[in-house]
Amino acid sequence: MVSENPHLGDQQEPMQEDSDTRPLSITSRRGPRSLPPIPSASRTGFAEFSMRERMREKLQAARSKAESTLLQEIPTPRPRRLQSPNKRELETEFGTEVRKAGEEVQRTQQDDFQSYSRVKFRDSVQKIKPKLPVPPGFPSAEEAYNFFTFNFDPEPEESQEKPKAKTRAGTNQEEEEGEEEEPPAQGERRTDEEELLSAKDEEDFLLGLDHAAEDFIAVRPAEYESVHVRLQMERELLFVPSRVTVPTYKKLPENVQPRFLEDEGLYIGARPEVPRTCQNTMENRLLTQEPGRKWFGDDGRILALPNPTKAFPSRPPVLTQAQDIKAELETLYKKAVKYVHRSQHMIGSGDPPGNFQLDIDISGLIFTHHPCFSREHVLAAKLAQLYDQYLARQQRNKAKFLTDKLQALRNAVQTGMNPAKPHKSLDTTQKAINEYKSEIRQTRKLRDTEQEKDRTLLKTIIKVWKEMKSLREFQRFTNTPLKLVLRKEKVDREADEAAYEAEIQAEISELLEEHREEYEQKMEAYRAAYQQWKAWKKAQRAKKKKKKQEHPVEEHPDEGLEEPYPGEEPVKPVPPEPTDQALVEQQVRERAARSRRRPGEPTLVPELSLAGSITPNEQCPRVEVLRREDVKRRSIYIKVIFNDKEVSRTDSRPLGADFRVHFGQIFNLQIFNWPESLTLQVYETVGHTGTTLLAEVFLPIPETTVVTGRAPIEEVEFSSNQHVTLDHEGVGSGVPFSFEADGSNQLILMTSGKVSNSVAWAIGENGIPLIPPLSQQNIGFRSALKRADAISSIGTSGLTDLKKLAKWAAESKLDPNDPNNAPLMQLISVATSGESYVPDFFRLEQLQQEFNFVSDEELNRSKRFRLLCLRSQEVPEFRNYKQIPAYDREILEKVFQDYEKRLRDRNIIETKDHIDTHRAIVAKYLQQVRESVINRFLIAKHHFLLSDLVVEEEVPNISILGLSLFKLAEQKRPLRPRRKGRKKVTAQNLSDGDIKVLVNIIRAYDIPVRKPTASKFQQPSRSSRTFSEKRAASPTTHSPTHSVDYPLGQVLVRPFVEVSFQRTICHTTTAEGPNPSWNEELELPFRAPNGDYSTTSLQSVKDDVFINIFDEVLYDVLEDDRERGSGIHTRIERHWLGSVKIPFSTIYFQAKIDGTFKIDIPPVLLGYSKERSLIIERGFDSVRSLSEGSYITLFITIEPQLVPGESVREKFDSQEDEKLLQATEKFQTECALKFPHRQCLTTVTDISGKTVFVTRYLKPLNPPQELLDACPNSPQATAELVARYVSLIPFLPDTVSFASICDLWSTSDQFLDLLAGDEEEHAVLLCNYFLSLGKKAWLMMGSAIPEGPTAYVLTREQSHYLIWNPCTGHFYGQFDTFCPLKSVGCLIGPDNIWFNIQRYDSPLRINFDVTKPKLWKSFFSRSLPYPGLSSVQPEELIYQRTDKAAAAELQDRIEKILKEKIMDWRPRHLTRWNRYCTSALRHFLPVLERSRGEDVEDDHRAELLKQLGDYRFSGFPLHMPYSELKPLIEAVYSTGVHNIDVPNVEFALAVYIHPYPKNVLSVWIYVASLIRNR
Amino acid sequence: MAEVHVIGQIMGATGFSESSLFCKWGVHTGAAWKLLSGVREGQTQVDTPQVGDMAYWSHPIDLHFATKGLQGWPRLHLQVWSQDSFGRCQLAGYGFCHVPSSPGTHQLDCPTWRPLGSWREQLARAFVGGGPQLLHGDAIYSGADRYRLHTAAGGIVRLELGLLLRHFDRYGVE
Repeated sequence: MVSENPHLGDQQEPMQEDSDTRPLSITSRRGPRSLPPIPSASRTGFAEFSMRERMREKLQAARSKAESTLLQEIPTPRPRRLQSPNKRELETEFGTEVRKAGEEVQRTQQDDFQSYSRVKFRDSVQKIKPKLPVPPGFPSAEEAYNFFTFNFDPEPEESQEKPKAKTRAGTNQEEEEGEEEEPPAQGERRTDEEELLSAKDEEDFLLGLDHAAEDFIAVRPAEYESVHVRLQMERELLFVPSRVTVPTYKKLPENVQPRFLEDEGLYIGARPEVPRTCQNTMENRLLTQEPGRKWFGDDGRILALPNPTKAFPSRPPVLTQAQDIKAELETLYKKAVKYVHRSQHMIGSGDPPGNFQLDIDISGLIFTHHPCFSREHVLAAKLAQLYDQYLARQQRNKAKFLTDKLQALRNAVQTGMNPAKPHKSLDTTQKAINEYKSEIRQTRKLRDTEQEKDRTLLKTIIKVWKEMKSLREFQRFTNTPLKLVLRKEKVDREADEAAYEAEIQAEISELLEEHREEYEQKMEAYRAAYQQWKAWKKAQRAKKKKKKQEHPVEEHPDEGLEEPYPGEEPVKPVPPEPTDQALVEQQVRERAARSRRRPGEPTLVPELSLAGSITPNEQCPRVEVLRREDVKRRSIYIKVIFNDKEVSRTDSRPLGADFRVHFGQIFNLQIFNWPESLTLQVYETVGHTGTTLLAEVFLPIPETTVVTGRAPIEEVEFSSNQHVTLDHEGVGSGVPFSFEADGSNQLILMTSGKVSNSVAWAIGENGIPLIPPLSQQNIGFRSALKRADAISSIGTSGLTDLKKLAKWAAESKLDPNDPNNAPLMQLISVATSGESYVPDFFRLEQLQQEFNFVSDEELNRSKRFRLLCLRSQEVPEFRNYKQIPAYDREILEKVFQDYEKRLRDRNIIETKDHIDTHRAIVAKYLQQVRESVINRFLIAKHHFLLSDLVVEEEVPNISILGLSLFKLAEQKRPLRPRRKGRKKVTAQNLSDGDIKVLVNIIRAYDIPVRKPTASKFQQPSRSSRTFSEKRAASPTTHSPTHSVDYPLGQVLVRPFVEVSFQRTICHTTTAEGPNPSWNEELELPFRAPNGDYSTTSLQSVKDDVFINIFDEVLYDVLEDDRERGSGIHTRIERHWLGSVKIPFSTIYFQAKIDGTFKIDIPPVLLGYSKERSLIIERGFDSVRSLSEGSYITLFITIEPQLVPGESVREKFDSQEDEKLLQATEKFQTECALKFPHRQCLTTVTDISGKTVFVTRYLKPLNPPQELLDACPNSPQATAELVARYVSLIPFLPDTVSFASICDLWSTSDQFLDLLAGDEEEHAVLLCNYFLSLGKKAWLMMGSAIPEGPTAYVLTREQSHYLIWNPCTGHFYGQFDTFCPLKSVGCLIGPDNIWFNIQRYDSPLRINFDVTKPKLWKSFFSRSLPYPGLSSVQPEELIYQRTDKAAAAELQDRIEKILKEKIMDWRPRHLTRWNRYCTSALRHFLPVLERSRGEDVEDDHRAELLKQLGDYRFSGFPLHMPYSELKPLIEAVYSTGVHNIDVPNVEFALAVYIHPYPKNVLSVWIYVASLIRNR
Repeated sequence: MAEVHVIGQIMGATGFSESSLFCKWGVHTGAAWKLLSGVREGQTQVDTPQVGDMAYWSHPIDLHFATKGLQGWPRLHLQVWSQDSFGRCQLAGYGFCHVPSSPGTHQLDCPTWRPLGSWREQLARAFVGGGPQLLHGDAIYSGADRYRLHTAAGGIVRLELGLLLRHFDRYGVE
């Protein structure tokens, strides 16, 4: 519409404003404008309309009121009126308000407004109608008015229209109304208002009557507005810019011609492409909307920037994106794979891929000497070598380089001498010149030697070639195709000579100058010396004069004064000789002649070619033919040895006639760890006979930067020291031969050659080199050779550290003139000149420091944080720290003291405890192994099964129920109590004092009995036998005599048992007699280390339960006989008789220990003997009497019962055959099915965590020769000795060392190196020794007391079997009731495993004949034959002799420490040491060792008595293997020797260490207490 | 010397198309932060929701940091994986969110995404499982030109973190 009448725009705007503001203003304006009110008002906006409605309501209200007041008697009109207000009330809320005010409105106004509302209906119809007839160009005044008033208020209008439409369409009444209204509206368009009103009133009145019920429900027709109407309205509301092109003049300011910049030659970018119509529309809009022309440019077009859009889509299609992706955004398609448990915590940790690859390319082999070389070959090789050297030198051309350098230096000196810059201080120039000169001197010397070398090399080449030629002539055949051609290069004689002469002259002049300088210096020195000498002379003379004049008498003292300086008497200096120029020249010329080409002489260039022809076989002499045949028979192959293991080998290739072998093979080694060594072994095969190892070539392990494709082929030389003499033309190797006929000038050549190879790291699929992480690298591996390369010498990181770099450069003396070093030098000069500030540090987040709250130190100082960290790291001391104080001040410094002390002492202890270095090393190694194993298990621990995480109580089924019901009916037998199963307690919620070790001591047998003290009055020789195990069976002749020394001793012995555990001591009451019965329960509290009751911690408790048996002796101390009647004064003394030691770990894993144990009684127990006769007399258990030793019956358990840690279910990788592994599994499940409780062992874990088949551990191994030599003719004695040796190796259970339950089997050599192991290692070693001694021996897996599951060794003697306990060295017969082994699970031999399938498993009741398949199920059988597994054991054990001196030193130290300890344990008493006794004991201990604790009774005793007759003596030797000091101390402590507090007690302590091979030490400790007899 | 306790749990994940989900998580901090106790990273169990689509892990997070600066406030990286019926695992989404810095309990929703890969890879993923994974995990939180990476939205990991701050006021941090 605007386009139709655009000129109206000016009028439009004020009207808009008005219509927006106040509807009332319109009404007010209507008057003055005198426009017909009827059509105009009806089309106003919502506000206006609502106002109108309001007015109408008011009017209605007023009217109804008036009516009600006026016509109260007529009720009819009211309902009529009510209808419309109700309807309208929905539309507006103003109604009520207005209604109040409406009363004032006058009647006339009422009618007037009402008529407006009427008109509305009419008007809407009207509007459509006139639109058709009226042409577009000529709007009627009404329409124009309507347009203006409605233009910007469209929405309310629509909402308003709808209800109207609804009313029209909805109900009949309304329609009627509408219909009725319309015709009059049309007709009465120009009629009076009054008429209309009356007609309407009437209708309303009529309609209202019918619809009184619908006053509250408004039924409205659906609002509808015809499309035309809407279009019409939209046209009125919307501005549609025209699409017609705007003439240029409109867009430009007045009277301005359009200007086209492009035509003027200025660049205008491409305008964005916009369709013409769009542009036009835009321009039109801009022109109408914003009359300014700021949007238009000089050319009359819309201003536009150059087109920013790209011709192609900016988002590339997915297919093409691959190439330009950024590294960090790379994605890798990973297959969905089963989860690998090791790489669990992937975020952050980034596990290494695991597989690394080393590519070894062996391209070939060239022999520089070989036994089959003929003489000619030797020469040829020499020639080739020389030629290579020549070529290499030629390439470097050092002589030329040095000559140039010399020239340059000379020039520099020249310019320095004639300074062009006078301002430069003379001093510096002089200095520089001096420096130059010295450099010239050096360079010249170097050049001379280089030139000389070049020349001699050339000479040698020619000489060798001549020799070769003569040889060829002499032998009349040719073997090698080598041919040397000397090419002469003409030179310009004149120029050459001139240059030569100039050079010589220059040199001479320099030399002369040097000499002059030297001369001058010497002169100077001479003059100075001369002056001095003169002065001295003068002084001397003067002195002499003086002396003569003044002190003629005191000549002597003066001389005495002078005499101290006789050496200072200066010799009269000799003036130096000036140099002779002629002589210098002579020298220079001589040297030049020697080392340089003569002027004019042609340059000789040797060229070696292979153009020569080889004489064919037929023309050669027989020896030569033989040689060639021999060569043909030979072939070579190379083995690749990685970390001392053969990994692959090349094909065998025949040796060529030119002694070159081409392999061209590439080996890809998949490795896990950083390689330790890489070796190539060159093997030679002659014919079909055996192969010989020619040489080993050690290859360097490549740098991490060397990857496949970049590695150059390198030649590595090798040589062998093999001696070969051949019966043909070949010169052999390692044997002298000569080229001369007379045999003089002999040469000895060794086989040697070069292997050309390249070693590089492979590159993975994604381009990442497969290099093991550098952390695995050995740091010490870096060799000094690498100094030459900056990166390898200081590491890549060093390159960023300029200071380090500069330092390196200074150290390595880089040649600053070398162009290779140019960038480096520049960098260094910048760094060193201080031009740029080089900070000492490198910081990632530079601003971090500024924003820090506190410094690092302060953070680290915080005690709270430290404590928290230590706790979370599970440092033992703090692991169980429950609550950490919130403030630093609440944390005491002493909390850390222990920890710090431990840290400090860590190293000290190592040197102190492990007195010999070997053990310290072993301890360290063990620590490492332990750590790695623990790490492995930590990983394995994450491998949970469902049952680990979900506890599901089993639903009782009918059989269980039935059983328990049956139990109820069972007879109660209170006199036969049974042990009830206890509830197991998991270890986590325990604290100190919750756990107790219960020891029930029941009875003991055969306790040694006292012997009357052998006083000096008694004959010592007549005293009874001391207790001795081996002779126990022999009848004792002694009958006990009760001595007066035991006034109260009614019995032979009064034993009591003392149990000590973790330094807590409990003891039983005292019983009497050698077979006491206590039946007492002792309770010992258990304290876990650091209060940590976790399973791992409990497993590693190393404490032992010591069960000591003491004899209580009462002594009468009554001094005065007169008091005897009235009082008793006795002193109780206790004497240690023996002990049983049970490790806590055993109790922990066994849950209970129940059985009879042999008491460990010292070999010598002074004052006691084993009283056998009594027992026999009584006839008490005659079976026992047969056995040797004393026994104690015990029951030990832990209260509450703890759940031992579960063994780790970890499938270790294995190198065993897959089939074998399957067979083992099958075998084990079969066995477990039949006898679930019998131990069946097929595979074990070795120390590196790999699964190994168990028979591989068994193999005959040589015991130390020393032991074999000891008793050469008694196999039994040897066996015992060997067993003893094995038992002397300290026992260390795996569970202690490797916190989790796992059996690690170390091989025997590892075991001997570690000097620690548990039953298996001991048993394996013993079994291997027995096998090598020619016995039939098996490893016997079973369970014993107190160890639980363990390994013993079974041997077959002629007729019977012996069971050996490898840890103690004792052996038992098969039918020995006291054999600790209680059940046998399986036997393991070197080639088979037999599982016990007999009904019983007690060794007493089973048959050890493994050949019977009904009794023993064998692993390898006919169906699965023994594949011949190689052993993991070494070929041979090598025993080093133990250092005796070290042992002696250790012995002294142990003695000292033990003495100190005993004094420490007696803080309130004085500890006196009886030296006399100590020395006696010291002498005695070696005897004990020699006899292995047997048969050393009387002599010793007698001797002691002789020496210490007036002492009452009680003491015993202890014998232990040596591992650490702590167990020794613990053992001494447990004997309680220190507990004697008799005032005049004295002590004696002696230590003896007997060294066995391989650092196995047998420690004897003799402790004794002495009390002087009154 | 300020201390931050982060105590909470990874509630679970919702909105993933895969059903059996588990989550690997890790907390990264700047250089100024020191972990006093707790574990920085972990992995949840596999949860196969029976009702609804939310996989619940209720995986505890308990960290105690000491810090000397605000830089490098701890942030959480999450990787949601799904396990198929063969027990194979494949990536379902990467996620990243900062640990809130105000004390109190916070409910966090961490949206996740995963690389889409080429159409071949998408096809392979649909049929044989697996899927493209980032070679360098840094891209999850680094500002590389990530528009080169075409990703698909994963679901949302729901976290509930409680924060305790200590001594921040001492250094003027409110």
